[in-house]
Amino acid sequence: MSMRRGTVPGEVLSWVGLVAAILAIFFLLMLMVGAPVGEALQGFISGAFGGRRFAYLMTTLSRSALIIGMAVSVMLSFRAGLFNIGGEGQLVAGGLAAALAAVLLPGPPLFVLVASIGAAMLAGALWALLAGALQLYVGVPLLVGSLLLNYPARYIASYMVAHPFRDVQSGMLQSHLVPMEMWLPYFPGTRLDIGILIVGVAAIFAIIYSYTTVHGYHARMNGLSPDFARAVGLPVGKLTLQTLAMSGAIAGLVGAVAVFGIHHRYIDGMLVQPLYAWTGIIAVLLVNMVPWAVPLSGFFFAAVQTGATGMERAAGVPKELALVMQAVIILFVASRVSSTLFASSARKETDGA
Amino acid sequence: MRVTLSGITVRFGTVTAVDDVSLTIEPGEIHAIVGENGAGKSTLMNALFGLIEPQAGTITLDGEPHRWASPQKAIQAGVGMVHQHFMLQDSMSVLENILLCSEPVGPLGFVNFSAARKSLEERAKGHGIALPLGRRVGTLSVGEKQVVEILKLLYRDARLLILDEPTSVLTPQEKDRLFAVLRSFRAEGRAIVLITHKLDEVMEIADRVSVMRAGKLVSSEPLAANTKERIAREIVGGELPPVRKRKKREPGDVVLSLDSLEIAGRGGAVGPLSFSVRRGEIVGIAGVSGNGQTELVEALVGLRRPHSGSATLLGNRVETLDVETRRHIGMSYIPEDRQRMGLALAASVSDNANAGREDRAAFTRGPFLDRKAMADFARSLIERFRIRVAGPSAAASTMSGGNKQKLVVGRELARNTPLVIAENPTWGVDIGAIDFIHGELMRMRDEGHAVLLVSTELDEILALSDRILVMFEGRIAGVIPAEEADRERIGDLMTSRAVEALAEVA
Repeated sequence: MSMRRGTVPGEVLSWVGLVAAILAIFFLLMLMVGAPVGEALQGFISGAFGGRRFAYLMTTLSRSALIIGMAVSVMLSFRAGLFNIGGEGQLVAGGLAAALAAVLLPGPPLFVLVASIGAAMLAGALWALLAGALQLYVGVPLLVGSLLLNYPARYIASYMVAHPFRDVQSGMLQSHLVPMEMWLPYFPGTRLDIGILIVGVAAIFAIIYSYTTVHGYHARMNGLSPDFARAVGLPVGKLTLQTLAMSGAIAGLVGAVAVFGIHHRYIDGMLVQPLYAWTGIIAVLLVNMVPWAVPLSGFFFAAVQTGATGMERAAGVPKELALVMQAVIILFVASRVSSTLFASSARKETDGA
Repeated sequence: MRVTLSGITVRFGTVTAVDDVSLTIEPGEIHAIVGENGAGKSTLMNALFGLIEPQAGTITLDGEPHRWASPQKAIQAGVGMVHQHFMLQDSMSVLENILLCSEPVGPLGFVNFSAARKSLEERAKGHGIALPLGRRVGTLSVGEKQVVEILKLLYRDARLLILDEPTSVLTPQEKDRLFAVLRSFRAEGRAIVLITHKLDEVMEIADRVSVMRAGKLVSSEPLAANTKERIAREIVGGELPPVRKRKKREPGDVVLSLDSLEIAGRGGAVGPLSFSVRRGEIVGIAGVSGNGQTELVEALVGLRRPHSGSATLLGNRVETLDVETRRHIGMSYIPEDRQRMGLALAASVSDNANAGREDRAAFTRGPFLDRKAMADFARSLIERFRIRVAGPSAAASTMSGGNKQKLVVGRELARNTPLVIAENPTWGVDIGAIDFIHGELMRMRDEGHAVLLVSTELDEILALSDRILVMFEGRIAGVIPAEEADRERIGDLMTSRAVEALAEVA
């Protein structure tokens, strides 16, 4: 797909200026807390991409799998003009359904694994559809409905793992461990599970869907102008529900990946606290919903987050400052990337494909 | 007040909207500025009013050079403007709207409404304007709102009044009253600029005519030294399209019929409406905008559900069906608002051209799009409807207004449905595009399609319709066959309360 347009030297110069600006603020912040600048910087880089046998890079990749998954889910809704910010609820619904199904369903492990992933996708889709139905039939705006539905999802999950399905012996608010045969295998010699491949498939599906299918085309038209979509007779209600179901299913899938790949059970707050869903939304907005750029953006956010942790570890930079740095990087890159993409996104959409 | 503009140039990005225009407006003169849409008339006046800061040129009022970056300064200097889209607060009263931003404030900070009311009433009366100052603006008709805007200028004692297309929302009678008021302003020595594209009005009231084309001033001469034909040629920059001849044709079967259809509307209920449209005829719906036309069209297209009555399209009851099903049965729709409803501006021409197509097999392969077939279809529309655009993959937003409209018209007419609903199909497009679109609608009629034309442009209704229905306050005020139609008769039926607001000058 097409590359950025514009004069090459000008483009390079503006990126150089950007990096310089980020470094200048970074330098000031380090000076303020009296931390060693070089070490902090190195800590950031190695924290995101280094480590012994690239252990930290694997952490970044593992985190990016979840962020990219959520970003892809949000992208499908946003491109169709549906402000579904209930990714968190759909993610939790999926994670909980996966963890419970894996523990409760009888049968051979592979079958149960597949069924559990299916259950997770179904749960996520239904949770998203609930928000859609509230908008279409009750008149609750999707933005409000989807956001508010995050809370019941979160607390139902808390209740489930605190009472009926709690692993009491562990002493924590969590469900029972899923049988080990169902754990997603690691890539040989690493601590990175193959969940990232599953998310990769979802991302490829979403990109192909957005650029080449009739449904994706109709959804996009609705996203660009709902009045236009209605006037030319696109089935707006059906499109809304189908798109939300797809979005929710992918969010549910991400929940399942987190369960089978990382935590191997549902732990209270495990999908909420790291703000996967919200980071996914920012990642999508950063690249103005251009499908092929979404995975890159998701990886970028994961890297910034693990890098900030690395900086804290290596140079003793307080975590709060690491978060400030993270915000600075995001703001600067956002200003740069969105202006480039906004300028040519309309063309890219038709050229790419 | 004598206003001199010299060398005014306004650029938007790479586009030069106004190119080195110099022009003088004399006191006690009605100065018409004419030209096609996009010729730069409004931009020039916005620069004079301080809404836009020109890149070059000077503004001189009574020999004194001025520069302003905001309308406030222009208003203080005695310049007033009535915009095409009114700038009024619907929830406030007429008096409050008029005083807004120039309130007579007493020493303690209280607004002296009664004094303002008295002085305003006096001035209004002198010009034959009567409007209850206590009414809420939201309850006024469009024509009355315009009177409020004019009173605003009068209250501030503007010495130069700029009116941007003031008659586009008025009935012929309301227009006559407005012109009487303008003449009375002229008699007081105020200068008046009338931006318009209607030459009849220019011939009727103007003292001087300036013609603009593509950002340049083509001519600025006293009306007496000019002729209508010459002005028209200068506007277009060439010969005018020949007058359209209507072929005699007996209408055929009924395509669309309404039976006491009632719709809930913004300004009160619309209906009951009963009428039918037959094959091979253009039925025109005339009326000042805001008299229920929007509600009617939305109910016909399927965007709004009527609360009683029935609509029958080709023998099918359609009043409760969705847009998609109605289009399948045999309806096309050219919406009034091409920017929002007619097109998805950020999408490509090709994406816009293929939206809403029924022959899905022609541009898809299973669930996938056949991009080439889509582009080919867009290219065929571009050729057939002579749309000027870089190509199928260009964004719809890159086209001019006329070409955007041609794309909408092309997409809808190419569907070849028995019924075509066209809502102000030539609003804001240039003469060439108007002529083309009118020709296409006429061709559809001649080929036996039924066309429902809803338009606030009386000229358009008169030029195309076989039968004219006039809407007023949500009902059909009358039906006139084309042969018997004339402006006065239609105008009588379009009459609204604004006529009383602008009583004859004593």
